[in-house]
Amino acid sequence: MNDNPTPAKSELVRLQSANDLRLTMDGYFARLKDAAETRNKKIAWCTSVGPAELLYSMGFEVYFPENHGAMLGAGKNADKYIPTAVAHGYSPDICSYLTSDIGAFLQNETPLQKSGFSAVPSPDILVFNTNQCREVEDWFSFYGRHFKVPVVGIHTPLCISDLNPEIIKSVSDQYHRIIPELEKVSGQKFDIDRFRETVGLSHDGCVLWKQVLQKAKNIPSPINFFDSAIHMGPIVVMRGTQHAIDYYKILLKELEERIENNISAVPVEKHRIYWEGMPLWYRLSNLAKLFSKLDTSIVASTYCNSWVFDDLDSSNPFESSALAYSKLFIVRTDTVKEAVLEGLLREFTIQGIIYHESKTCARNSNNRFGLQNRLFKTTGIPYLEINGDLNDPRCYSEEQSIIAIETFIDQISGR
Amino acid sequence: MYRLGIDLGSSYTKGVVVDENNRMAAFHCVKSGYNFNNAATKIINHFADNHEIEYPVYTCGYGREQISAPFVANSELIALSKAVYEIYKRSCSIIDIGGQDTKFIQVNASGQVDKFKMNRKCAAGTGSFLEEIAFRLDVTPAEFTELSNQATGEVKINSFCTVFAISEIIGMIKNGAILPNIILGIYNSIILRSMELALVEDFLVITGGIPAMHPTMVSLFKNKYPDSDSPEHSQFLAAYGCVLLNPMLQHGVDPVR
Repeated sequence: MNDNPTPAKSELVRLQSANDLRLTMDGYFARLKDAAETRNKKIAWCTSVGPAELLYSMGFEVYFPENHGAMLGAGKNADKYIPTAVAHGYSPDICSYLTSDIGAFLQNETPLQKSGFSAVPSPDILVFNTNQCREVEDWFSFYGRHFKVPVVGIHTPLCISDLNPEIIKSVSDQYHRIIPELEKVSGQKFDIDRFRETVGLSHDGCVLWKQVLQKAKNIPSPINFFDSAIHMGPIVVMRGTQHAIDYYKILLKELEERIENNISAVPVEKHRIYWEGMPLWYRLSNLAKLFSKLDTSIVASTYCNSWVFDDLDSSNPFESSALAYSKLFIVRTDTVKEAVLEGLLREFTIQGIIYHESKTCARNSNNRFGLQNRLFKTTGIPYLEINGDLNDPRCYSEEQSIIAIETFIDQISGR
Repeated sequence: MYRLGIDLGSSYTKGVVVDENNRMAAFHCVKSGYNFNNAATKIINHFADNHEIEYPVYTCGYGREQISAPFVANSELIALSKAVYEIYKRSCSIIDIGGQDTKFIQVNASGQVDKFKMNRKCAAGTGSFLEEIAFRLDVTPAEFTELSNQATGEVKINSFCTVFAISEIIGMIKNGAILPNIILGIYNSIILRSMELALVEDFLVITGGIPAMHPTMVSLFKNKYPDSDSPEHSQFLAAYGCVLLNPMLQHGVDPVR
C-alpha cells in the first residue's frame, strides 16, 4: 500500500538515496582534495570511459574532466566560460565540455572551489581513450602542455562492427604499453593482482548500475533519465572502487521498495520515452518538470547505459577491459547501434524516442546519418528530434523545444 | 454562441470565431508584440461587438498560456493538423511557414499526426528571414508579390544565415542582378529550406502566415508539388483547429483553467 500523498504533476519525486549519493560524491572529492593538497598520492586525469581500473589499481586518485564539464553545464555557467576558450582558438563547434572546461581553467574558476579546492587538482599524468571521441586527446593535450606532464592514451578504432580478435588485441596491447609511463609517474610497480581486483570491483559496480537502470522496465518505472543522469556519478568516477558498489546497493534497495509500493519516478506515468543523446545539463531540472507535467517518464537512455561494462572479468583483466571499452555504444556502427536500440525499445516498453542532436557532440548525436528513419521503419515507434547542446545553452531554443515535446506527447496519446 | 480560437504566434496573434456548425465565421489578426495578453484581449474585444463568445477560449502558439481570459491551451501542430483534416478529410503532408517556425507535419488517413518536424534554431526558411530581407531592401510584402511577378529568371541565394543572405543579396545587386529575380530567389530559398525538413510523399497542404501573404510562394510550391493546395485563411487554421479539438462544452461546466 502506498501511503505517500500523490505529488503535484510538475513536482519531482525525489529519491531518498540522494543523501547517500551526496556523501559518496563528497568522499570522492575529499580524497581528491587531500591528494591535491598533500601530494601524498599521485593524480591521474582520465576520460569518462577511459582505463580508470588501471589507474585506481596503481594507486592514483582519478579526476575526470568530463565530470567537471557536466558540473559546469549543470551549474549553468558553461556559456560564461566557452567564449574564453574560443578566444584562445578553440572553435565553438567542438565539444562544449572541452570549451567550457578549458575556458573555466583559463579564468581560474571551478565549481570545486565551493568544496574548498583552490583550483582543479593538478595532474601528474593524463590518460585518455579515444573510444568516445578524438577530441579528448586534444583536450588532455592542452593540460599536458600547461602542466608539463605526460599525456598517454589508447586509440580505439571507431565505428566498430565486429569486435574481432585484432581489435581486442590492439586495445589490450595499448593497455600494456601505457603501464611503464604509469609506473614511472606513480612510483609503483604494476601489480596484476591489484589490477584483477580493481577490474572485479568495476565489474560488480557496473552490474549493480545495470540492475539500477533495469528497474525502469517496471511499469510504472521507479527511476527516470533525470534521476539516472545524476545518480550515475559514482559509476563514472568511482568504478573500480568499493565506494560505487556500496552506493548502488543502497539505490537498488530503494528502487526495489519503490516497485513494491508502486511509487513511480513521475507522479503519473502514462507515457514511456527513450532518450537518445546527451542530457541538456543546463535544463535538466526544467525538462524533468516538463515531462513530469506531461505524465511522461523517460525510462531508458543511451547515455546512462554507457557505463555498463559488465564484460569486465578479473580472470582476464586486459582482454576483458579491451572488450568492455570497445563494445560500448558510441564506438559502434549504426547497424550495431540500431540492433541495441531495438532491444532496449522492446525491453523497456517504449512508446516514443527523443533524439537530442547536440550541436557540439557529433558522436553522441545519432540522428545524423538516418538512423532515426531506419529505426522508425523497423519498429514503428515514433520519434522527435530536438536541437540543443550538452553544455552550451546558446544552441538551444527552449520555447520551440517545449512546443515540440508537448506535441510529441499529444501525438503519442493519439490525440 | 461562438467559440473562439486564438493562435498566439511569435509575430502575429490570429483569432477565429467558430459557429455551432464548426464553421469559421470571422477572422482577426494583430501583431503579438511583447505582451501576449494584450494581443489576445484585442482579438477578444474585436469579436465581442458582433459575436457572443463562449468561454473558455482555445489557444495555441508561444503565448498559449499567457492570457488572462479563461482558456484551454493546445498544441498548435495538433490543432493545425485537425483543421487541415477537417478541410481535406484525407492523409496529407503539411508545410507551415510562420514567423519563427517552419513545420512539417504528416497527417494519416484518420487525421492523426504520424510525424512532425520543426526547423532548427535558425531563422533561415522562416518568416523572420523574409521580414528581415524586406526591411533591408525597403520593400513591403505586397511589393514583394508584385516584383516577383516581373521576374525574368531566378537568382540563387546560397546563404543559410539571414545576415549573410543580405550581404549576398547586396553583392548580387552590385553585380547587376535585378530585384524581381532576387525576390524569386529568396522565395525559392525558403521553399528549399522547408523541403529539408522531411520528404513530401503525399498530397501537400501549404499553410501559415508567410504563404498567405506571399501568393507567389504558393505558386512556386505548386510548381514543385503539383498535388498540393493552400486553403483560404491558412494562417488562421491552427486557431480554428484549437476549437475543433475541444468538443462544445455543456453550459454550466466550469472552464478547465
